[in-house]
Amino acid sequence: MNTATAVSRTSAGTAPGRRKRKLHNELLAAVFLAPYFTFFIIFSIIPIFFGLFVSLHKWTLIGKEQFVGLENYVYALKDADFWASLWHTTYFVIISTPFLIVVPFALALILDTKIKGRTFLRTVFFLPNILSVAVISFIWIFVLQPYTGLLNSFLHKVHLLSADKEIFWLNETGLAWISIVIITLWWTQGFNMIIFLAGLQDIPVDHYEAATLDGANGWQRLRYITLPAMRGLIVLITVLQLIASFKVFGQVWLVTRGGPANETRTMIQYIYETGFSANELGLATAMSFIFFVILVTLAFLQFKFFGGKKD
Amino acid sequence: MNEFAGAKKWSVSKILLYAFAYGLAVVFFVPVLWMVMTSLKPQGTVMGDIFQRFMPPFSLDNYVYIFENAPVLRWTMNSLIVAMIVPVLSLTMASLAAFALSRIDFSYKKIAFWLILSGMMIPGEATIVSLYMLANSLGILDSYLALILPGLAGPLGVVIIKQFFDGIPGELVEAAKIDGCSLFRIWWNIFIPLSKPVLSSLMIFGFLGSWNDFLWPFLAIQSEELFTLPVGIPFFMSSYTQDETLPMTVNAYASIPIIFVFVFFQKYIVKGITLSGIKG
Repeated sequence: MNTATAVSRTSAGTAPGRRKRKLHNELLAAVFLAPYFTFFIIFSIIPIFFGLFVSLHKWTLIGKEQFVGLENYVYALKDADFWASLWHTTYFVIISTPFLIVVPFALALILDTKIKGRTFLRTVFFLPNILSVAVISFIWIFVLQPYTGLLNSFLHKVHLLSADKEIFWLNETGLAWISIVIITLWWTQGFNMIIFLAGLQDIPVDHYEAATLDGANGWQRLRYITLPAMRGLIVLITVLQLIASFKVFGQVWLVTRGGPANETRTMIQYIYETGFSANELGLATAMSFIFFVILVTLAFLQFKFFGGKKD
Repeated sequence: MNEFAGAKKWSVSKILLYAFAYGLAVVFFVPVLWMVMTSLKPQGTVMGDIFQRFMPPFSLDNYVYIFENAPVLRWTMNSLIVAMIVPVLSLTMASLAAFALSRIDFSYKKIAFWLILSGMMIPGEATIVSLYMLANSLGILDSYLALILPGLAGPLGVVIIKQFFDGIPGELVEAAKIDGCSLFRIWWNIFIPLSKPVLSSLMIFGFLGSWNDFLWPFLAIQSEELFTLPVGIPFFMSSYTQDETLPMTVNAYASIPIIFVFVFFQKYIVKGITLSGIKG
């Protein structure tokens, strides 16, 4: 990268002049950095240390009550509901990630052919992504509703579901998870699709031409050219998707409220309920911190494998 | 890529590809179309036959009703204010910081950049309770400041803009310095105009992000008149669980502007995604 700077190049001169110039640069840089760093430190860095401090206390919405040491952590780790919600989040990650990689990859492959109306298709496949979580949740609540919902009505219409039967999509744990995965896939896959598409378009066309001349069919071109070329990107997107999926909250909370019987309650929902409904902010920050460690570990893996690309 | 050398020929695989792609497009589009169509149905319409739901009669009465019965206009204003101010302010400050990291020689540069990079690993969702408590002690909860200030801390913009600044030729800076430009003028008159494509992408991306943000405004705002649309919608919905037309009207009302933004600025949004593909 080009790190040669304008200022350093013009700073040749006598020793005291150079030192003065250097001090000048230090101050100048501080002026440029100060506005951003003020907010960065207050709203990104301080909450971490403040949260650590809070987690060592019994703390309610009224304020600090007393120092309790690691008690909140011990309590969280012994709390069956904590583990249950951590498992629900993990379960969601496990069942959704394969779809959130394969579907956008397949769609990107389609958009990378010479199919007519590519821009239109890309727009439609990506469109749900720009809608707010509140909007998509309420669309799907009504789509999945029994009796009058769009999906059941459609299944009745095409006789996949007999007229006297109803599917209660959100009232049964297995179906509720399927619904959540479908909603999340519909809503978020476009993001990965765009990144995959950009990656596919970077593969030189002559690689495909050479393979075709050698008699490779479509499947072989995919297997021996596309996939090896995309391997790095696929791994990267998988890791990013894992991190993003661990943070799942909005659509689950709005669509199922964690139900039926808290069976789809995610980690963030439980932290939120502990803090704001049960008024145990100290405990909630302790849980956040355990969760934080899990997410940072994942992010660190990403950083270790792909960090070199950033500088 | 070149299997359609004879583009006129319709092979079986080509037909299958078209059927699959456009069939899927219908599946993706139907929920959105259904939302808009339902919002145009007279209130209390019984949702009978599936095809009738997409057919007339249509009316705009529901839109009139939500304007009269919920402060949606106020919520829209709030959403707009936040979604405009946050990207403008944050990109201004991020590009200033990126300029220093890219073009000024100073001793704590490594530490500063390392801090920002580690900031990219901080999962906001996992620190949101302490952010709430911090905002509480700063006394900014339930105000515009709560909606705006935390949004200015994002590190991704700095990293992306710095990368772009690094690619701007040093000769330009040299020439400007000979002409007596201050570094601030160089940032504003050379670097900002040259970075327009990147900045526009980040701007629209930031707009969409703020417009749709849910968890933080949901926690930070209690007063109905300070709600943003994503927080106001579920609040409004809670009183309409049976009728579908009004909820879908609010949904459509909140989405139609953003769909237009998307269709017009799609190029920038797509670019923004590829730029921020490294986002954690």
